[in-house]
Formats: sequence, C-alpha cells, structure tokens
Amino acid sequence: MRHGRDVVIVGSGAGGSAAAWALVHAGYHVTILEKGRNLLPGIGTKAGPRTHFGNDEVKAIRNYENPDELLEPRTSRTQAEAAQGVDRSFVGDVNGLPTTVGGGTVHWDAKTPRFWKQDFKTLSTHGPVPGANMADWPLAYEELAPFYDEVEHVIGCQGDVKQIPKFVLDQAPRAKQFPMPPGPEMYGGSLLAEGARSIGLNPYRVSQAVHSQPWGFGQACNNCGFCSGFGCPINARGGALSFLHEALLKGAKLKTRCFVHRVRTDRAGKKAVGVDYLDVHGRKRHQRADIVILAPSAIETARLLLLSKLAGGSGQLGRNLMFHNFTAGIAQFSEDVHAWRGPSTTITIDDFCIPEKGSAAKAAGLPYLKGGICETGGTLLPFDEMGVYAGPPNSWGVAHKNLMRTSPLRVHMAGLSMVGEDLPQLANRVDLDPKIRDVYGFPVARITYSLHNHELAASHWFGAKIADLCKAAPGALDGTYIPLGEVAAGGGDLGALAAGAATTAHIMGTARMGHDPKKSVCDAHGRVHGLKNLYLGDGSVFVSAGGFNPSLTIMSLSLRMARHVAATH
Amino acid sequence: MRRREFLRAGAGAGLIALLPPGAIERALADAPRAGQAGRFLSAHELETLRALVDRLIPGPPEDPDPGGVQMLVPEAIDAFLGAFTFDPPLIHAGGPFSDRNGHTPDDFAHFRPLDKHAELGWRIRLEGSKGMPEREFAGPVTGLQEIYKAGLKSLDDASPGGSFAALPSPAQESVMSGDQTGFVSQAFNDALNAMYGPPEYRLDKQLGGWTYIGWGDNQPRGHTPEEVSGAGGAGERRAGPEIVDATRALLPHLAARWRR
Repeated sequence: MRHGRDVVIVGSGAGGSAAAWALVHAGYHVTILEKGRNLLPGIGTKAGPRTHFGNDEVKAIRNYENPDELLEPRTSRTQAEAAQGVDRSFVGDVNGLPTTVGGGTVHWDAKTPRFWKQDFKTLSTHGPVPGANMADWPLAYEELAPFYDEVEHVIGCQGDVKQIPKFVLDQAPRAKQFPMPPGPEMYGGSLLAEGARSIGLNPYRVSQAVHSQPWGFGQACNNCGFCSGFGCPINARGGALSFLHEALLKGAKLKTRCFVHRVRTDRAGKKAVGVDYLDVHGRKRHQRADIVILAPSAIETARLLLLSKLAGGSGQLGRNLMFHNFTAGIAQFSEDVHAWRGPSTTITIDDFCIPEKGSAAKAAGLPYLKGGICETGGTLLPFDEMGVYAGPPNSWGVAHKNLMRTSPLRVHMAGLSMVGEDLPQLANRVDLDPKIRDVYGFPVARITYSLHNHELAASHWFGAKIADLCKAAPGALDGTYIPLGEVAAGGGDLGALAAGAATTAHIMGTARMGHDPKKSVCDAHGRVHGLKNLYLGDGSVFVSAGGFNPSLTIMSLSLRMARHVAATH
Repeated sequence: MRRREFLRAGAGAGLIALLPPGAIERALADAPRAGQAGRFLSAHELETLRALVDRLIPGPPEDPDPGGVQMLVPEAIDAFLGAFTFDPPLIHAGGPFSDRNGHTPDDFAHFRPLDKHAELGWRIRLEGSKGMPEREFAGPVTGLQEIYKAGLKSLDDASPGGSFAALPSPAQESVMSGDQTGFVSQAFNDALNAMYGPPEYRLDKQLGGWTYIGWGDNQPRGHTPEEVSGAGGAGERRAGPEIVDATRALLPHLAARWRR
C-alpha cells in the first residue's frame, strides 16, 4: 500500500462519508466536495456537531436541507411520453434528497434492513422477467456481510437478533448481535403486529440507526416523533454523519457549496486525474486527485458521468433506474393510537420479500411477484394530515377544521408502508435534459420512468394481505391498502410521476455493477470499467432494488469499495 | 412543496426597512392592525386576505375554535411574503427547541440566515425572476408576491361592487369556488402552514390550530417509553365507525402525500 495519495470524494452523504472514513484511516489525503451547505456547526471538531433542526414542519417543507427545485430542478416523463417524443411533462422536485453535509441521512428515518442473499442473485435464483433487465450482482451476500456488521456498529443500529424470524436469518445471516437493544415499541405498530401474527405473518422489531442509548456524539432517542423527513434535534440517529465526523477529526477536508460538473481524465482516457467544480463563489476550480470517488446519489452520479462523457461504453449508464414501489396500508381505530410517537416505525414484516410464484404471478404473466419489507405502525404528522384533507376542491372552512379535530388519518390511524421491489428496466433512465439548466448553467437530470407490470401486480397481491392484517389489528374499525404507484400512474392532479415513484428517497441503479464491461458500468468494487481509478460509492451501482431501504447497503458497499481502494492503490 | 408550474411570469414589489435580528417580540407588537398596511401587502390587500382567511379557516361564532384571523394567519402570510424585510429573513426558524414546555431560550425565534445560494432561491420564489438573467436560467418565474397581489385583486374583480371583503360570507365562498387560477388553493395551503405550524412563523406565542387538534408539541422532552408503547393517547379521544366512510374519498389524496 502506498500512503499519502490524494482522494477526492464527490458528495458527503451515506456512501461518500463511509468511504472518506475508511480512506482517511488508511492514510490517504481525503477531500470531500459537497454541493450543499453545512447545517451542523461543530461537525469534525472535538465539541461535536450542534444542530438547528427541530420539531418544525414548516422548515421541513421550505428546503432547509433539501435542494431548492427552483435552483436545481429535475425533469421527468413517463416511458409512454418518451416514446411519443415528449421532452418532459414535469419540471421541479424529482426525488430530491437533502443537499447538505450528510446528505439524505440527515433526515432519513434510519431503517437498516440488510438485503437478502436472493437479491444479489435474482436472475440465477428466480429467472428472467419479461421486460425487465434482470442480472446477478457480481458479489454475494457473504462478501458484503462483514461490512454490514461494521457499518451497523459505526452508525449505531438497534435491533435484536433473537427476535428475527428464521426465514430472514436464512437469507441474511448475522455474525453478531446488534450494538444496542431496541427502544420502546410504538403502540400503533404493536396493534398491527398483532393483526399480522393472527393471519400467520411474522412481525418483529426492525433494525434502525436510531440510538436506544447514547452512541458516538449523539444522545439516546427521546421519541419526539419527528423522524422521517426531519433532521434530529438531539443527534440521536446515526448515518453519514457518524462516519463524517470521525473522518474530519482524522484530517479529511470538507468543502461545501462546491458543485462538481466534470470528471477529468488523462489523454488516453484510462485514468481520472481530478474533478472540475464551481466553488462557493461560483469560481471555476479543479481538484487534482489520484483516486476519484463519486457518491452524489444515483441520479446525480449518472448526470455527472454523462456531463463528463465517461462510462458510456456498455450503453447501461443512466439506465436501470430503480426506486421502490410503495404500497400503503391503513388501519383506523376508535381510540387514539398516537402512532406518531417514536422513530417513524419500530416493527417490520418481511414475509412479502419471499417471491410469490403461484396463480397471481401466472395471471400477471410473470414468473413471480416480490414485495418488500413493511414499515409498520406509523401515521401522519399534522402537515401531511391537513394536506390530505385539503386535497379535494374547495375543502376549506369548517369542514376542514372538523376533520382536523376528528383526525381520522392521524390520531385514529396506524399505517404501514411496503417497500416494494422495483425491477430494473432499460427504459427507466436518467439522461441530460435537452433544454432545462440549473443555476450553475448545466443540463439537469431528466428522469424517464414507468412501473413494470410486476410492480403493479405485486402491489395488489400483497396489498390484499396488508389490508387483511390491518383489519385483524385489535380494535381496528377497518383496514385497507392503497397501491400508491397505481394512483400515481393514473394521471390527473393526483397522478403524474411527481406524485409517485419520484417522491421516494430510495434511488438505485443508473450505473450498475457487473463483471462484464459490455453489460455493466462498474465492477464488483464500484470501479468504472475502463478507468483505473474512478469509483462509484452510492446507490448507482445497485443491480437490483430488493425490497429493502437501501442506505445500509449503500454504506456497506462503499466501505467495501474503499477498503479495496486502500488495498490496491 | 410548491411546484414551478404555479409560478408564472411577472414582477414583484419593493421592500421596507430591515428588522434587526431577534426582533420577533417587537415585530409582534408592530403587527399591522386593521386598516394598516402589512410588511408587503397594502392595507386593502391585507383586508382582503383577512376576509379570505376567515373563510378558509373560520373562527367564532361560525366555529367554536379560534380561526385563522384570530391566530394572525393573514399577518403571517404577509410576513412570509415580506420575509426579506427581516434579517435574517423569515424563512427558516431556528432550533433545536422553542421555549414551549420550559426550554429557554426560544431557539425557534432566532431565524436561520440563508447563504447566498439559498437566498437566491428564496428571492426567486418570493420576488420572482423579474427579468434578471441570474434568476432566469430555467425560464421566467412569477414570485409569490405577485401571485398574491394578482390573486387578491382577482377576488375583488370577481366580487359584485369590487370588494371581496365587503361581501357577505356566502357570496365570498361563491367567489372562492369560482376561482380558476389556483390562487385560493395556494392561499389555503399557506394559511394552513401558518395555522398548524410553529407559532414563531406567525411572530406569535399563541398555539394556533394546535389548541384544538390535540397536538402534543412535546419538545424538548419527547415521549416516555410508556407514552410510546402504552394505550391511551392525548385526551382519550374516541371516534366512531363513521371515520372510515368519512375518509374513503380522501385515500387518493393520502396516496399523494404518503411518505416513502
């Protein structure tokens, strides 16, 4: 190993921070270029990060940590619109993740399920799917497992191996117990879990990087209820910041409000030599580097590689964009189930990750239907609630106040979200919008996306079971499910991509890994084919989406990539 | 999140003197009274907005609980439109804690400064692009200030006699129902944000809509394990089976707002 080499990392989110942490500890000079600003004064100092995040729904909708869609819009269209030659049907916020130091994990709800063995070998395990670009990952679960262990420890995951059902441990075996036990179980989730058990399902305590006891620089969670979509007021949640804080203490450099627009290579095009960026003052700058790691999240990684005219050889760059197709379940109760108290949800149900290969799949013309984990037992906070009641035309006045007082969809609701698997498709892609530019003057990412028939069929098949478990919850007045993707695909004011998949924070694919440079963008360690020293450290490398929240896997893959870099460069 | 499609070409309006930092209590004392101009809107525009908010979120005697006008929602919208007359601008409250439930001081009352990048976005959103090249990289944008001035005028224009505020309530609601511009929906969203958001955004200490929706606002302490895991929410509120039917038609709207 040759120490003292310069590494530049684009993006300080989950993947970038994990790589920075590993490489600075291995003796590299690490510079992180972050497009957003730093909202955590004190990070990287002995005093530790302070925060101005609070229980504040207004700040959350006013782009405090999120990108401003007026400055950095994206555009979108469906596959059908693309086929008709429509350049775009929407301009604005398309899957915007926090653009700030720490990236998306600044306000994630920190669910940390592992992918299953089958997710890495989907094609060879379950066979091809018509219309989907299925492939195996170039690595197996067992190769990633030690990095899962390490990340779970650094970011501080709660959970209990003894409660995990056998069928889950068979698919995602664990070498050790979680670093801390589960915190208090949320009441609404307990009711749904009881309903689930009564129909033969296997609910258990979800693993999450919400601290049930003080961890790192953070406090123990106090169950304030402002978790998913909110920065934590007491730093009780791990994530990118767990890595980043230590990396900065160890000497990594962080430059904020730096927009990277090009990866530079040598004349032969075989080696990256650094990146071009605009600094906080808008000045053109160059950061030289021996190793370049891109981790600005899957959509921006594709955009940056397209802007750089790199990695296009396989024809896969930008393609196989995956989100998750969420299916909602709701149960309503006479009593106040206060399902907002706590860290979003504390129960998971993983039964729907097992492929359904029976009549429902055959009826849809598919070899199988796969769902995903169910984040079980949350509800709305007042802003989402008031927005739902304000949805129908002219719904203002006393009628709206009556709904707010009765609160059928907050006080009296416990819901769940199935993180449904989204199959990779060549036509679901990121490219450069031919007309719209961002505040920096560069073409923005254009997202072309439509659900595969698999997602629609799976949503209904598993949705019916979700409705059953909701109905079976003790005291439930009724239960139902909502196929969110289908509602979004239905068009109209409630439809459009921007109401569906484009609102998920789970962004995967666009630069899939693989052994064959003709069929993939990067190798099993995230190294871009054909370039000696350009690595990808975010969700862009995913080959399949699984039915699992992706951030733990992003961090684990990035950590594995960084260790490989340290061993080979 | 407001979408670009709501924003159309147009021009904004001028500013008044900047307030020094930490001046929320003084700003409250200075809140415009009836007949006075606001921080951005004229006296008449503010009067029209008050009339509109009184229909959007009515109070006594029509409704037993406080309405938007009592909770200074029109003044909050006016202050938001004039956010850059405050320093720091009245966009993002501070944190992590307000002074509710015993914490001191009120961190929320100390609004967070924007950096140059964030300020540009908010100037475009509020003031519009105004033909400035640095604001029109993605095309012209109509600011909220102009949307409000035009929207409030459109209510007057649609009102017999030319004054929306002077109409009786049923006639006002008829005018609102006939709005084809999206302005009433925009104003409703903004009014709800002010009514059910933290009081600091209203330059106020009253709890607004929280008083009647059973909202705990338990910061800074959060919830005990018993409060998380045990039955019995705030006030033991019971509902009947009718809530199921009452929400069936709302499910598509729930879908559009579901966090994922």
